[in-house]
Parts: sequence; structure tokens; C-alpha cells
Amino acid sequence: MQDNLEKPVLNTLNKEYSRERKLSFLERIYLPEVFKALWYTLKQMFSPKFTMNYPEEKWDPPSIFRGRPVLVEDNGQERCVACGLCARACPPLAISMQANEDSDDPKERYPDFFEINMLRCIYCGFCEEVCPEEAIVMSKDYDIVFESREQAIYDKERLLVPKEDLEERLEYLRNYRNNQFGQFWDFQEENNIHSVRDRDQNWESGLSLVDILEQQKKIDETKASSTWS
Amino acid sequence: MKLKDIQSKAHPTFFKEHQKKLYQSLEDKHTTIEQVDVDDPLNTGMILNMGPQHPATHGVLRLMLELRGESIVKTKLDIGYLHRGVEKIAENKTYQEFMPYTDRMDYLSPYSNNVALCTAVEKIADVEVPERAHYIRMIGSELARISSHLLWLGTLVMDAGAVSFFIWTFREREKIYDIMDNLTGHRFTVSHARIGGVANDITPEAMGLIKEFIETFPQELKDYHKLLDRNRIFYDRNENVGVLTTEDALDIGATGPVLRASGYAFDIRKFTPYARYTEVEFEVPTRLEGDNLARYYVRMEEMHESIRIIRQCLDKLPGGPVRTDNAKQAYPSKDEVYYSMEGMIHDFMMTDTGICPPEGAEAYHAVEAPKGELGYFIQSDGTGHPWRLKINAPSFANLQVLENILDGEMIADTVVIIGGVDPVMGEADK
Ligand code: SF4
Ligand code: SF4
Repeated sequence: MQDNLEKPVLNTLNKEYSRERKLSFLERIYLPEVFKALWYTLKQMFSPKFTMNYPEEKWDPPSIFRGRPVLVEDNGQERCVACGLCARACPPLAISMQANEDSDDPKERYPDFFEINMLRCIYCGFCEEVCPEEAIVMSKDYDIVFESREQAIYDKERLLVPKEDLEERLEYLRNYRNNQFGQFWDFQEENNIHSVRDRDQNWESGLSLVDILEQQKKIDETKASSTWS
Repeated sequence: MKLKDIQSKAHPTFFKEHQKKLYQSLEDKHTTIEQVDVDDPLNTGMILNMGPQHPATHGVLRLMLELRGESIVKTKLDIGYLHRGVEKIAENKTYQEFMPYTDRMDYLSPYSNNVALCTAVEKIADVEVPERAHYIRMIGSELARISSHLLWLGTLVMDAGAVSFFIWTFREREKIYDIMDNLTGHRFTVSHARIGGVANDITPEAMGLIKEFIETFPQELKDYHKLLDRNRIFYDRNENVGVLTTEDALDIGATGPVLRASGYAFDIRKFTPYARYTEVEFEVPTRLEGDNLARYYVRMEEMHESIRIIRQCLDKLPGGPVRTDNAKQAYPSKDEVYYSMEGMIHDFMMTDTGICPPEGAEAYHAVEAPKGELGYFIQSDGTGHPWRLKINAPSFANLQVLENILDGEMIADTVVIIGGVDPVMGEADK
């Protein structure tokens, strides 16, 4: 390995380097090579299909997929408290909102209007990443069409999706994104008393370091999957 | 021969301004201008405007070729058709917010771009990255390298005349897209690296797919070698075409595989290692010839080495967190945000202010992207936004090479040579 640039060096990994630039007679007349290539082409005709008849066939994305951002609907209302953090984090400034207050509601605040301009959104997932209420998540929706620029601005009505329909994504977030890391401590779940987060009894607020290492060990030992062949 | 020639040849007699404008726009477009030259009775000289059409010139690259018959006398490149002012955008975004924009620079290997920005910010702000995150970044970057080289290979062979080959390399790229989808959440614009680590750990699905890929891909590579190495058509199209001599390569400032094909084993991964490239073994392939065939061999061998690196990374992958636990430097975990006041405050602070490097700090950090040295120079004024962010894009450096090696070549080889140099305009124009 070269450690300075004083003079050029040759470093080939090809064992047949000396032959690299010399073609033999058979290769010169080039027909055998062409037949070899044709044989390879023929072989490809019988390999499994890689394409999909979209839109008749639809692709089902994995739960890690970041599709259209949606607002989580919980008990018939949005979980959003209109803190504006997602709008601040959004790199292309696609989100706009107006906060309002409602003292009868346990969470006290809600967005008067909440709009995402889907022409601007770049599906980076930052809104989901920063939201302190798990109120906006990325759905699996990827074929988004509109006929005009006005239609591309999605309002609250079109953004709200019941949380039951988003279970897969929420489950994924819980398992792979939300966990504590580094220093661990017990949460006082009551701290978040006015949150509408659905806290079932078995809810594990975070994995301990031991759990994380266990989980990672399991991941690392995953066998090669044969999805393609 | 002057480039702006059509206007001096034409002598409009009425509506002069209007006609002039027409001629001018004709000149600016992709026109062919025949030249009448007294020394050239056969009238073989002409100026050919090529591009800026995608994908014929591998992006929106415009070439003005001065031809004499079939050979190129002089070349001039015109870039900037994909300029989006990325460096200026960076000045108005926090470091974290700017990260998705880097996906759109070298869009053939977004992962390397993410890593390049994040490592630069980590350098200037002195952020410690956990081990596991380093390894995940390496796996991602090497996959991106393979993906980028596969596209180069497909288009190079297509430029040389074999169109169906392109589909086969794309099938392999599709697998990498699948991996990226399961690893990062998106196929193309991955946005996976974060300042202080990566966004999420590898999922079991992604792990399975990566393992499958490194098992099957070497066989495909072997097939490609079998198909192309000894094929006379491919060989003749590439041998001694677009020769970049060793001296020129350094003078012009070539980087990446283009430089290595001319004999210098300059690889950032070896010279100033980042992430954990010191922990893995790999070779830096080089050739001395500097022609397109040499570039072909260098890139093919780099793909072999990438597979080797991924394999070692998977063996060594340590456990532990994937993001630094310092809430002043990276986002806290979501569970902390949901249940603790401190976590919530840090979440807001990280989003609104972001990470603030010390005032007056400067840092340059480069990574070995598939195209060559990709560096980010950051100047900080102590706020969460960079004061100045300069991107050193490898494609831009390699385009300088293109202008020089095209001179004296045949017109039919132009596209093959562009393919061999492999520029990405998203990166060159920024
Ligand atoms: S960050 Fe969450 S809670 Fe805050 S405004 Fe956005 S969606 Fe609503
Ligand atoms: S996904 Fe990204 S671009 Fe789209 S709304 Fe969320 S933060 Fe904005």
C-alpha cells in the first residue's frame, strides 16, 4: 500500500493482470465472445422477474418506509398540540399551522388549521422525529396525485388518519426509534399527565441497555434472507 | 475558429435586433454550425453543441466541441444547468436541517453525502460518535459506492453499444435500493446519517437483505467480468480512449477512481481515515494506463473491495447505542422526550438552535465518496447555522479532466469518455 504520492504505483487485484490488455486469437475474432454474451442474455430471460405491474400490482412498503406524513387521530381528535416544532424542523418549510386553545380539552391546545404542502415535502421524516406528542408520523402512502397546486396543500381533514391504521408504523417507532440509549433511567409516566398517549398497562417505556444489546445481537445474527432469488 | 460565429456570418437587413436575437438563441441552443474555411476545402470543420440533455451526456452537461472531420480539436464544457444554490441554502438552515439537501447532491450515492456532512459537523463541533454508528455508516457508504459504480458500469456499457446490460446492473442496484429502503426508510433519498450517529439501528429485515446481497453479488460481478473483460467490442471502445497521463492527473486535480486509474493510490479512507476504516482491511486498486479501460478495472475492483469491507463490518459490528447520548449535540431518545421535561426541552433546543460549534471555528473534512474526495468546509460564527459551507465536489474536479482528455479524440468516443469519468451534475453544479 502506498503511503505517499511521490510516484505512481500499480496495485491490481486481478490475478490475470498481465493478460488484461492482450486478447487471444479466439477473442480477437470476437464471435465466441459474442455468443457468450448471447448465452448470458438468454439465461437472463429465465431469471425471476424483478418488475411489478404498477398500478395493477401495488408495492407494500415495509413499516420503516417514510411515505406521506399524516396526523395521528386519537379518540376522534388530533393528537397534535400545535407546538410548531415540526414546522420549525421541516427543511423545505412545507408545514404551516395556527394554534388555538380549548380549556375543555385535556390537552388544552389544538391546531386551528394544519397544512402540509405536498409539493414541498421531501419525505425526510424530520417532522415525525421531532414531534413531542407522536402526533405526526410517516405513513405508507406513496402514490400521491393532485391536479392543481391548490389541491397539493393537504389540510387537517386530509391529513388525519386514525391511529389504528397506523399501528405498524407506531409499532416500528416504538421498537427501533423511541428507545432510550446511553444512560438509562425510569420514567415517571405521570409526568406526561395531559398527554393523550394511550398508556396500556404493559407499556414498556424503554429498553434497558441489556435489552438493547440482546435485541441487537438478535438483529446481527439474522440469517441472509432470500427475497430476490 | 470563434465559437460565436453564426452571428458574424449572418447579415440581416431588416428587423436587425429581432433577427440577431434569433440567431443568438440558435447559437445558444444545440445547433450545428458549418464553417466555411479557406484552408479546408472539404469543409470538415464544425462546432457541435452537445447537450445539455439528460441522460445522453450523463446529466445536464453541455459540451461545445470543435470538430475537424470526426476528431475533436477542442472542447469546452458548460456547466451550471442544475445549479440550485445548495451552499447558500446551507447558510439559512441548521446543520441538521441541511442534511436532507446533501441527498440531492450526488444523487447516485446519497449515503456518502450524508456521512460527509455529518462527519464534518462532528469534527467542527467535537462530537463523539458511538462505535456501532460508525460501522453502520461504513456499511451504508460502501453499499452506496457499489450502487454508484453499478450505474456507471451500466451506462458505460450502454454508451459502448450494449443496451440490455444496463438493465442487468440496474437489477443489482434495485437490490441495493431494497436494502436502503429497509435500512433507512427510503430507497433513494436516504437521509439516514445524523449528527452524532445515525437515525436508527439496522432492522432485522435490512440485516437479512445485506447478508443476502454480499453472498450473491460477487457472483454477479464475476459474470460481468466474464462478459466484458475479453469482449473485443468493449475492449476496443475503451482501450487507449481518453488517456489521462499520470502527470496531468495530479496537475488537473483529478480525484477518485479517475486519479487511481492514472497511478496514484490516493484514497481518503487510507490517507486520513474516518469512521472505522482503520479497523478493516482493504486494498486500493490502481492502474497506470489512465485510459477508460483502466478506469473500468479500477472501479470493478473497488466493488470487490467494498463487499470485502461490508463483510468485515458485519463481523465486527459492535453493540450499543447508535447516537451520542449528549443532548447538547444530538437529539435525545423519543421516550425521554415523551416522558421527561429535560428531554422535551432538549428536543426543542436541538430543533430550533441545533448544534452550535464554537465561534470562529473552521473545519474541513473529506470522505471518499464513490466519485472521489468529497469534502465539506464549514466556517462557524457560533450559531446553529453555518456561516459558510463550501462543498468540494469530486465531480467538479473530474470535469476539469474531461475538458482535457477529450481533445484529440474521436467524436464517437465522447460519450464513452464522459461515461468513464462518471460525473454527476447534481454535485458539480451544486
Ligand atoms: S410537532 Fe407534533 S405536536 Fe407539535 S405541531 Fe407538529 S404535529 Fe403538532
Ligand atoms: S417529511 Fe420532512 S419535508 Fe415532509 S413535512 Fe415532514 S419535515 Fe417537512
